[in-house]
Amino acid sequence: MALSFEAILQVLLSGLLMGLIYALVASGLSLIFGLMDVVNFAHGEFLMVAMYLMFGLVTVTGLDPLLLWPVVTACLFLLGSGVYLGIIRYTMRAKTNRGMVQVFTTFGLGLILMGLAQSLLSPDYRSIGHTWISGKSVSVAGIYMPLPQLVGGVASVAAFVLIWLMITRTDFGKALEATREDAGAVALVGIDKNLIFTLGWGFGGALSGLAGSILATFFYIYPSVGSSFLLTAFVTVALGGFGSVYGALAAGIIIGLVEATTAVILTPALKSLGVFTVYLAVVVLRPRGLFGSS
Amino acid sequence: MLEVSGLTTAYQGMVAISDVSFSVKQGEILTIAGANGAGKSTLLKTIAGMERSQSGTISFEGARINGRTAHEITARGIAFVPENRRLFPRLTVQDNLSLGSFLFRNRPDRDAPLDIIFELFPILKARLNQLAVTLSGGEQQMLAIGRALMARPRLLMLDEPSQGIMPKLVAQIFEAIKIIRRSDVTILLVEQHLVKSLEIADSTIVLQTGRVVLRGSAAEIRNHPDIQSAYLGV
Repeated sequence: MALSFEAILQVLLSGLLMGLIYALVASGLSLIFGLMDVVNFAHGEFLMVAMYLMFGLVTVTGLDPLLLWPVVTACLFLLGSGVYLGIIRYTMRAKTNRGMVQVFTTFGLGLILMGLAQSLLSPDYRSIGHTWISGKSVSVAGIYMPLPQLVGGVASVAAFVLIWLMITRTDFGKALEATREDAGAVALVGIDKNLIFTLGWGFGGALSGLAGSILATFFYIYPSVGSSFLLTAFVTVALGGFGSVYGALAAGIIIGLVEATTAVILTPALKSLGVFTVYLAVVVLRPRGLFGSS
Repeated sequence: MLEVSGLTTAYQGMVAISDVSFSVKQGEILTIAGANGAGKSTLLKTIAGMERSQSGTISFEGARINGRTAHEITARGIAFVPENRRLFPRLTVQDNLSLGSFLFRNRPDRDAPLDIIFELFPILKARLNQLAVTLSGGEQQMLAIGRALMARPRLLMLDEPSQGIMPKLVAQIFEAIKIIRRSDVTILLVEQHLVKSLEIADSTIVLQTGRVVLRGSAAEIRNHPDIQSAYLGV
């Protein structure tokens, strides 16, 4: 199949924009895993909660979703830290099989959130209608970019820059790094690991809140929307290296590009084929992922 | 400044220290001697809040501290350098040191202890940008002591600072302990190297299977006929 230069650029650009959002979805998962070796299987449902929250807020207030991003992000920060304080903290006390306890706890939490959405909000597909950016696009030199995805991609890049600044430039970031290294030792320098875990879950939740806010402007909202993104997020985290937030960024972009390219070369229905092929290759050749530590 | 009385702690289901009492005055060095498994490390961990005591009291500067969490105890002015050092291995020497002063992060003079740390251990200055994991055993010990000093402790607890370190560096570390105490820091020192630790100590307690079997000034302990057998823990 012959493609024009513009068409190839078009495919790569839409892949890049989607990839940046995949990266954002995966970043919260990776942050929490890196901090305390807990895989949050409810992360997809955090995303779903964020999307419904955005839908509800837009319906009730009539404001534009762009104005509500900070609100949804802040609410998901509270949800994340609340889940740590109310649930995860107690799983840390398990004397045996702590990993399994945490898997079942977060998985169960995800099922509960999805079930609640199904019974309280109905399984209907919803979408947010008119917004400032929906249905618009920017065209540069013949390359067409849908505005919601473009704004989402820029927001994702901004979020990663903020994470990077926080980790490298602030005392909280250093405390986070130290807790990742040895949570049992931070008390020696006067740091309360429970506070760091609480904030870590808060930021993990906030990142899914931002991702959900972005997705809500151009994606359908339904109770199991989280699961489809969670699978991609797991592949992203594994490809980037478990626990590496920067790895999630690189892997998210790769997955977005591969997915978009596969969809064009084969058929859109098989877009995940390329993604999982790349993933299998990485698992075989470099099991710790691109940026994972051995 | 530190008073321990009737302290009992179980470690992994077994009583590790039993009815331990002693006190230390401000600016003193107290060594805790005893064979492997006598309960020395458990005693320090209990004071640091990393192990829970079952009974007894620990009071520091007049306030009871047992039952408090480990990070609160650090914030009260007790710094602990555990046996395995517990550095942050994949962070730089610089980051490890600045984490040490986390409690002083909003103070303009947070780095003030660095001068004395670099004076005690000049090698750390040359290694600032290296990851902690790349340091030799002796250098890691120096960094662990440096990190503890960044927290400006009034009580410094050192668990086996000479373990697995080449003799030349052991001498340097003991020299450093002497200098640190001159700035009125009280020191609890757990040390296998009894002869060396008695040289710098003011007083000593000897533990055997979790109980205090001997106590006295460093000179008394040095001359005590039982010290050999107590130390061997038979």
